[in-house]
Amino acid sequence: MVGPNVTLTPLSRADGSASYQCPSTGSNILGSVNAPVELPGRRDALKPEEATVEVFVKPGTAPAGVGERYVEGIIKTMISRLILGREKGYPRRGVVITLAIVGGQSARRGDSYLTLLPALLNTSLLALLSASVPMSMTFSATSLAVTSTGDILREPTAEVASSAASVHVLAFSSKGHLLLNESQGAFDLDTWDNVRERALAICRGTASYGSDGDVTMSVDVDGQPLEGTIREAVEDQVHRDYAWSIDAV
Amino acid sequence: MAPAAAASPAAQPTPPSLSLPPSQFARLQPHAYLLAHLSPPTTSNHPSIRANGRAPTQFRVTSANTGSLTHTNGSAVVRVGETAAVCGVRAELLHTADIASWSVTQPSTGSANKRRKLVDPTLKASETAGDGDDEESSDKDESHIEDLNLLVPNLSLSTGCAPGFIPGAPPSALAQSLSQQILSLLHSTRLVRADDLRIWYQPPNLGPEDLERHNESEQMDVDAEAEGEKNREIKAFWVLYIDVMIISLAGNPFDAAWASVLAALRDTKLPKAWWDIDNETVVCSDAVSDARKLSLRGMPVASSFCVFEADAAAGWRAVILPDAEEERKIAEDNRRGAQRRWILADPDGYEEGLSQERACIVVDKEQGGNGKTVVVKMEKNGGWAIDGRELRQLVDVSSQRWDHIRQILEQC
Repeated sequence: MVGPNVTLTPLSRADGSASYQCPSTGSNILGSVNAPVELPGRRDALKPEEATVEVFVKPGTAPAGVGERYVEGIIKTMISRLILGREKGYPRRGVVITLAIVGGQSARRGDSYLTLLPALLNTSLLALLSASVPMSMTFSATSLAVTSTGDILREPTAEVASSAASVHVLAFSSKGHLLLNESQGAFDLDTWDNVRERALAICRGTASYGSDGDVTMSVDVDGQPLEGTIREAVEDQVHRDYAWSIDAV
Repeated sequence: MAPAAAASPAAQPTPPSLSLPPSQFARLQPHAYLLAHLSPPTTSNHPSIRANGRAPTQFRVTSANTGSLTHTNGSAVVRVGETAAVCGVRAELLHTADIASWSVTQPSTGSANKRRKLVDPTLKASETAGDGDDEESSDKDESHIEDLNLLVPNLSLSTGCAPGFIPGAPPSALAQSLSQQILSLLHSTRLVRADDLRIWYQPPNLGPEDLERHNESEQMDVDAEAEGEKNREIKAFWVLYIDVMIISLAGNPFDAAWASVLAALRDTKLPKAWWDIDNETVVCSDAVSDARKLSLRGMPVASSFCVFEADAAAGWRAVILPDAEEERKIAEDNRRGAQRRWILADPDGYEEGLSQERACIVVDKEQGGNGKTVVVKMEKNGGWAIDGRELRQLVDVSSQRWDHIRQILEQC
C-alpha cells in the first residue's frame, strides 16, 4: 500500500500549512493554520481562559454548505480537545484552521463526508505541527469500508463507499486512545471490533513492545503505519530547516 | 462541604448569609456541583446520582404526539424532558419533465429496466450473499432518492428555543450540522422507500396492436404483458420536505429531532396520485380513504451520551497523559475505588456544558424487535474515555432505549 504524499509548509504567509494527498481515494487537501490570532469577533464571546478553535472546510468546486458545517464541527470537536489552549499567549485568541479540497472528488449535497474526513484530519494535524501549536498528543486517522460480504477495504473511494454496507472513520492518538469514531451503515459490534483492529494496525502498525520498553513498528500488508509517515514527514522537514546548523558542525 | 451545601442546605442551622442555596451553587461552581452529586462522600448515604435526579443511564421522560398539524401530510411533536421538537412532513410533486437530466439518464424506462436486469447478476452475486430480500429491491432503484434529492430535511433552532439562539437569526452552525446529520441518516438507513415516492403511468393497450396479436399464438399474450410492463413510466415523484423546529432546547437536540422525524414519517399519508393523459398533468384524489401511508424500512432510534470527567483539567493540563494500556489499568483500579468519569445518557443542557466527549448511537432491531440489534450509526468524538468496551455497553443501553421508544411511537 502506497502511503500518503505529504508536504509541510507549502504556503509561506500562513503560520503553518501542509498539503496531503491520499493515493487510494485521490483526495488532495491543502491546509493552513494561523495561531494564535486575534479574532475579529466580540471579545466577550471569546472564552476568557482558553483558545477558540475555528475550522473552515472549502470544497473544490462549490461554496460550502451544510455538509461542510457538519464536518467542520467534527474536526473542531476533536482538535480542540487536543490543543493546549491554555498555554501562554493562547487564551482569548483563536486557532484558525482552513482546509481546502484542491483535488479529488468533492462531496455533493447529502453525501457522507466520511471518505474525505481522514485526509482532512491528517492535514489539519500536519498544519498544526507546522505552526507549532502546542498539543497534548498527535493522532492519525483512517477510513474503512465493510462490504456486504464482510471484506474490510482500506480508504475507499466515494463509489466504493456508496456501495459498501458500512463506512467507518477512526482516529487513534499517538498513545493508542480511540479519539474519533464515525460509523455509518448497518453493522454489528463484532464487525466493528475487526474494523477497529484493522484501523489500529493501519494507523499505528502492529506494535510490539521490545525488552527495553521501546515500541517497534513493524511493516505488514498495510505498509508503513500512518503515524510513522506523519512522524517522518515532520522529521524530514526539521532536518531540512536545520540543515545550516547540522552542516556547520 | 460542597455536597453538604448541595444536598441539604436547609438542614444546617448556620446563619443565612453563609449558606448558598443549591441553585446558586450550581451556577457558581457547575463542575463541582455535578461532581458532588455523582461522587457523594462515603460517609453520607447518598447514592451516586446526577444533579437532575437521574441515574447515569436513565433517559428523560419522553412523549410523542402525531398528527397535530393539519396542513401537513404528516406531523409529530416529540418531547424529551425539556427539549421539544415539532416536525412536519409536506409532500410536493416533482414532474420528471422538470428534471433537467431525466431524459438523458433514463432514455426510456423499458430499456433502462432491461439494462438493469442485464447488469444485476454480477452485482447481485455479491449482494445477495450478504442478506436477503431487502437488498434485492434496492440497489439502483433507491438511488433516485439521493440523486434527485427527494428528501429535504431542515432543522431550525432560531425559534427562541434557548437563550443562545436569537429568533430570526440565520441558521447557526449547530442547526446546519443537525440538518446534515438527519439527511445523511435518512440516506444511509434508506428509511423511506423510493417506490413509495414514484408516480407511475401505464399507457393503455391500444386497439390495433391487440387485433394483430389476436391471430397469432398464445405466446404473444405473455409478450404483450411484458410489453405493457415495459411501457410503464415514471411521470412524477413526491418530494418530502421534512421541517423540524426545536421549540425548546435543553440539551440533546439530535435525539429529539430524529425521534420527531421518525414519528412524522410514520404518520405521513400521501394522497393517491395519477397521470392524467388528457390534461398532461398529475392529479390527486381528494378522498382520505385513497391516501396511503409510507412503508418505512425499520425503525432506527438515536441515543446520545456524554462523558463527565471528575478532573476538569484532564484535557488541557500540559502533563503527559497515560497511554491507552496504562489507562485501562487505571480504569480497572477505579472500578474498585473512586470513579473518575461517568458516561451520562441523554444529557441535559447543564451536563452538555460540562462535558466535551459525546457519543451518539443509532440502533435498529430486525423483525420488529425480535431480531438482533443492528447498529446503524455510531459516533464518538471529543475525548478518549469511550472505547470498545464502553461502546458495547452503550449499544446495550441504546437497544433498551429502542424498545422504549417503539412503545411510545406505537401508542401515538
